[in-house]
Amino acid sequence: MAFTSPATDERPLRFPLTSRRRQVWLVSAVCLLLSLIGIVLSWTDPQIGLPLRPGLDFTGGTQIQLERSCADICDQLSTVAVESELQQIKLPVQDGKGLPKLDNARVQLLDGGQSIVVRMPALSVGQGQAVIEALETVAGPFEPGGQSVDTIGPSLGGQLLRSSLISLLVAFTGIALYITVRYDPRYAFLALVALAHDIVIVCGVFAWLGLTTGLEVDSLFAVALLTIAGYSVNDTVVVFDRIRERQRMDGDLPLPVQVDRAVSATLTRTIYTSGTTLLPLVALILFGGSTLYWFAIALALGVIVGSWSSIALAPSLLSIWPSRSGAAASA
Amino acid sequence: MARQQGWFALILALAIAAAAVLSSFPLQLGLDLRGGSQLTLEVQPAGEITTIGAEQMEAVKAVLDRRVNGLGVAESTLQTVGDDQLVLQLPGVTDPTRAADVLGSTALLEFRAQKEGTQEEVQSLRQLRGQLQSILDTRSDDDASELDPVEQDELARRQKELGLDGTATTETEQLEQLLARTNQEILDRFEPTAFTGKQLVSAGRQQQQNGSGWEVTLNFNAEGGEKFAELTQSIAGTGRLLGIALDGELISEASVGPQYKAAGISGGTASISGNFTAEDARDLEVQLRGGSLPLPVEILEVRTIGPTLGAENVRRSLIAALSGLVLVGIFMLLIYRLAGAVAVMALSLYALFNLAVYALIPVTLTLPGIAGFILSIGMAVDANVLIFERIKDELRRGNTLIRSIETGFSQAFSSIVDGHLTTLISCAALFFLGTGLVKGFAATLGIGVLLSLFTALTCTRTLLRFLMSYQGLRRPTNFLPARQLPTTVS
Repeated sequence: MAFTSPATDERPLRFPLTSRRRQVWLVSAVCLLLSLIGIVLSWTDPQIGLPLRPGLDFTGGTQIQLERSCADICDQLSTVAVESELQQIKLPVQDGKGLPKLDNARVQLLDGGQSIVVRMPALSVGQGQAVIEALETVAGPFEPGGQSVDTIGPSLGGQLLRSSLISLLVAFTGIALYITVRYDPRYAFLALVALAHDIVIVCGVFAWLGLTTGLEVDSLFAVALLTIAGYSVNDTVVVFDRIRERQRMDGDLPLPVQVDRAVSATLTRTIYTSGTTLLPLVALILFGGSTLYWFAIALALGVIVGSWSSIALAPSLLSIWPSRSGAAASA
Repeated sequence: MARQQGWFALILALAIAAAAVLSSFPLQLGLDLRGGSQLTLEVQPAGEITTIGAEQMEAVKAVLDRRVNGLGVAESTLQTVGDDQLVLQLPGVTDPTRAADVLGSTALLEFRAQKEGTQEEVQSLRQLRGQLQSILDTRSDDDASELDPVEQDELARRQKELGLDGTATTETEQLEQLLARTNQEILDRFEPTAFTGKQLVSAGRQQQQNGSGWEVTLNFNAEGGEKFAELTQSIAGTGRLLGIALDGELISEASVGPQYKAAGISGGTASISGNFTAEDARDLEVQLRGGSLPLPVEILEVRTIGPTLGAENVRRSLIAALSGLVLVGIFMLLIYRLAGAVAVMALSLYALFNLAVYALIPVTLTLPGIAGFILSIGMAVDANVLIFERIKDELRRGNTLIRSIETGFSQAFSSIVDGHLTTLISCAALFFLGTGLVKGFAATLGIGVLLSLFTALTCTRTLLRFLMSYQGLRRPTNFLPARQLPTTVS
């Protein structure tokens, strides 16, 4: 048995990435375009006016959740009945402030009509009680311990958003610097491109969901985006590390071949890693409660898109971008 | 070999230490996981201030912030909402009454001298108060035991004397009313405020020397010290008392001995001894140290998030995520065989270390925190996958098992380190610049990444080497199917 030289023992390429790069770009471009359309549509929608439909965490307001107490099956209840009741409520006046309008209140029935969730502009404690009393006439009686009233001021969401954005920007700069030092400015740039690609697509999907089903993003969505960002960069760096290793070994081969070989070598790892990360998330989506449902979906989506961008998009872009001193990499 | 055994012993010791930490320090769960309390406070206009501006809010918030810190509730947050409200979150506090008491009171400390010529009246009132207090102390809450007729007569007489009409229904209520009234009567026999707690620079507490209770100690600034000396000098040796009132209620009266006739009590320190329990003394200390509120606050809403609504949901989610991790373990076993078993062991150690660090620091676990944990597990698994894929590559090339393992580790090293370090960079940024949710996320992810580096590069390696010291396990087919092995391997 002899020590084999690394260049000769290559298994056949499992994924000829560089020859298919146009298809890869097409897929990413279409996804990006659709996402951007969703974001722009959401932004121009007079009802939303923002890239994503913001939830209570960002807009502020009051959410009242009531558990109806009914023996086995609850009486049928329509959201329309609740809404019309809401419009008739005379709210107690809070001095110095205009009365919040309940016309835009959104009513949701959960668990087969067992619980009601109503979202309204921010109410005072007394006003919230008035709403609960009024609803008791159409949907009561309610479980005594099963009601929650959340009132969130709009300033908190803004603060969260601002601080998250600033810290993300600093984090990106730090990562870019690190990759530039350890690898190459091209790698840093492409890692950030892949990252932006992932974030935009996940946001796009949620923008479309917001437009079509009225899904709102909460502060957990912001956390999901941060998680995706971390995952995406980690994934991309591993692939790039493999490409750099190839460049050392096959320095005399053209860059596209190096990239192909590196991607093929790391393909199994990327698929396994994504798979193992997806397993707990899929379990969360299927069996977890509603609190984390959309959070898990956002994360799962991010993992899939993130794997795609690090195994396909970023390396294929790298393959057409030779470094100024291509041969130097073999040193 | 000796070095390996050293590593092995270290890992074993760490595992035992982690288990010990977990059994003695409980994990801290956030408001969204285990419930807690949320209080909404509204600042009330008072005196010359009719509208609450940003300036007043800042002043009130500064005082409340200090009191909240004094409460010692982990990760409690106080935030301004709207123009005149403050929201306080107390994770894990299911009975927020104490917090409400500490936050809701103005904590205006006043020092007053007793009026001249009231010595006898005050003397008998204090006696009455003492009696009432001891009767009330011995009665349990809904005690139906009647007062004996003599006592009833006495009660009625006293009520009449103090102008109470006896509207309170139960005897306990009557007694309490009488006690409050007596206190008021005593207070009325004191001069208006000489000076207030504004001149206080710090407050502390200590056990009384006779060991019967706690007292709160006060330190005045120069001006306060002077005023205190003046005040004590004016009543020293006269038999008149020095009254200390908090929010208009007397909490302590003290006599000043004749030896202070010349210069009063100087030195700028004093102590209040009012039969405090350790907790009372602490609360008062917290309030005094925080200063009195420039404006009164009213507690609008006290909401306790019980374990019924959201927490149940979250519990299900956690179980789901954990079962997902079990699936990951099975997956690793199927794909990597013996190495997979090592990975499962290393990842279990990883989870154990993580939880121990959370308990030790302590990190309060919130939903975003758990997201960070899940992501870090993903990265820890990734590190193992990277190593094992490399080992498989080497085996396919026909290298010996031991050599393949060594090469696998060394080749996977740089990508593991790079991947982890880049994530660590973003964690640092998110932790130091982010707030609330984001901070919790960055904390768990950052800890996870550091530990993952350790477990992947030492635990997995040591365990694998340890197993390889058994001849029977040293077969390449323990790592990948025979058909993938080159035929040249003997």
